[in-house]
Amino acid sequence: MARAKNSLWHRHKYKINALVLILPIYFLYHSLFPEFPDAWGTKEIASFQITPAPYDLEPPYLHDGHYIKDFMLTFSQGNIADIRQAYLNIGYAALPLTTLQAGDVGILHGSQHGQEVHAIAPAVIEAGHKMWLTIENWQGKQIVTSWDLPKALLP
Amino acid sequence: MSKLSNRLWFQLHGWCSLPIWVIFCFVCLTGTISVISHELTWLTNPASRASNPQNLAEKSAFELVSIVKESYPNAKVSTVMTFEPYLINAVIFTDSDKPFAIAYVNQYTGEIQEVNQGITFVNFMRSLHGWLLFPWHHNYSIGYYLVCAMALVMLGALVTGLVIYKRFWRAFTQPKLRLKQGKKTLLADLHRLAGVWSIWFLILMSLTGLWYLVQAILWHADYDIEPHSPIVAVEQLPPYKTKIPIPPFTLAHALAIAEEKFPDFKSTYIMLPEHNRDTYKVYGEGSFTFYDQYSYGVVVDPWTGVITDQRTPAQMTILQTMSHIANPLHYGTIGGIWTKIIWFVFGVLLTGMSITGFLMWGSRTVKAARGNTEPTAGAITTKQYATAKNTKLTEQEIR
Repeated sequence: MARAKNSLWHRHKYKINALVLILPIYFLYHSLFPEFPDAWGTKEIASFQITPAPYDLEPPYLHDGHYIKDFMLTFSQGNIADIRQAYLNIGYAALPLTTLQAGDVGILHGSQHGQEVHAIAPAVIEAGHKMWLTIENWQGKQIVTSWDLPKALLP
Repeated sequence: MSKLSNRLWFQLHGWCSLPIWVIFCFVCLTGTISVISHELTWLTNPASRASNPQNLAEKSAFELVSIVKESYPNAKVSTVMTFEPYLINAVIFTDSDKPFAIAYVNQYTGEIQEVNQGITFVNFMRSLHGWLLFPWHHNYSIGYYLVCAMALVMLGALVTGLVIYKRFWRAFTQPKLRLKQGKKTLLADLHRLAGVWSIWFLILMSLTGLWYLVQAILWHADYDIEPHSPIVAVEQLPPYKTKIPIPPFTLAHALAIAEEKFPDFKSTYIMLPEHNRDTYKVYGEGSFTFYDQYSYGVVVDPWTGVITDQRTPAQMTILQTMSHIANPLHYGTIGGIWTKIIWFVFGVLLTGMSITGFLMWGSRTVKAARGNTEPTAGAITTKQYATAKNTKLTEQEIR
């Protein structure tokens, strides 16, 4: 019996690695039917109506030396062309525009159909942190608004 | 001692390949299909063909973007991609009802032949081959590491294979393929013949694969091989106004700059500004054969028309050079369709070698297993029997 078992194992042991190839099918299914976290509340500010949605609820990640977190912002009202520059950051307060505009991290980009942003974030999100949106329009006016972070992102 | 050493090399050859042979075979197969994925797209999808019966001149990317904007007034074009001359140009855009769409625009007639909102066969095959569709966790994918690891076992299998195949170079001068001496002989001949004739290909795939592994580690370590181009300084933006300003320099200007700067320039990948401080990024191919189709380029400020960054092979660091020569060597695009065909043929051979290798082991194992069920003399243990049999087989393999 033991010999039969050994023989069975011996004959089929090199076929086991084929099981790894089930994973691409599983991952393909997930990429065809992706699931994203819920969008956060819609805010009306100046002429804009904005709804942010995170790509995931994972902690911020390091990219090019900066911790960032990815979001998609939907502008259901207002014209994107009115924006001169806009930034998103996570923290206790909105970063001053002079600091934000010194770099390229956290800048909103995309189109009227959706603005993507790699928000400036701390390495570790703490209680009391919020997400801050700073918009400067072509008249030089600054608009700042914020969203509370969902519990899943807080410690 | 010599026999023992040969057996060890033979076992090493098996250890390099057998435990992962199905994954290896799959990676080889998907890579082989990836090599000709553009041509398969051409064959299977008439909308992907850039037919030009009237021999019209090729339209510029600027014109193609205008054509898409005319048909889709709310479209925001982000990217224009150019492929082989027999394939359409891809104009990637978003619209109010299309989060991501690719317009297949015939660069000669200007006709939009298809709008694809799903995945493309080319991208699917390359993703399947490159990382087995394992998800990317921002800067790494386990699947990418898994596929890169195949370079190590491929190199191991090549070295050990050449050690156990005595006087392997005779396969070049006296190729041997015995068709009528049984399955085992045929498999062995096929495996060895394909192996020796593929030495150059195995080395090329292993080395480029090792580079991909290095690249994956660098990505994972957040090391920037090719730093991002700077964005437009805020001081360069128009001052505060009551009317929304429009950048005075268009994509046509950025293309003209690139063509003026690089005499043999042909644009292949163009990114349009995605915010007011963003730039035109015009990348393409030039006169260096071994570099990929993104080795030349300019980054142009849409407000001032000035070049803010540029890319040429002459200015690349070693790592940047590696990243721009690996793909043409890996996918065989260096000489157009003819090198692709050669790469495809050797890809088939490589895929076949993993199968013949396993079948060779299989036929031996089945025979050994049958042998085990036969009554044996009490004085000989199974281990001794198997060792003796393996030694015999080793002798046969290396003959």
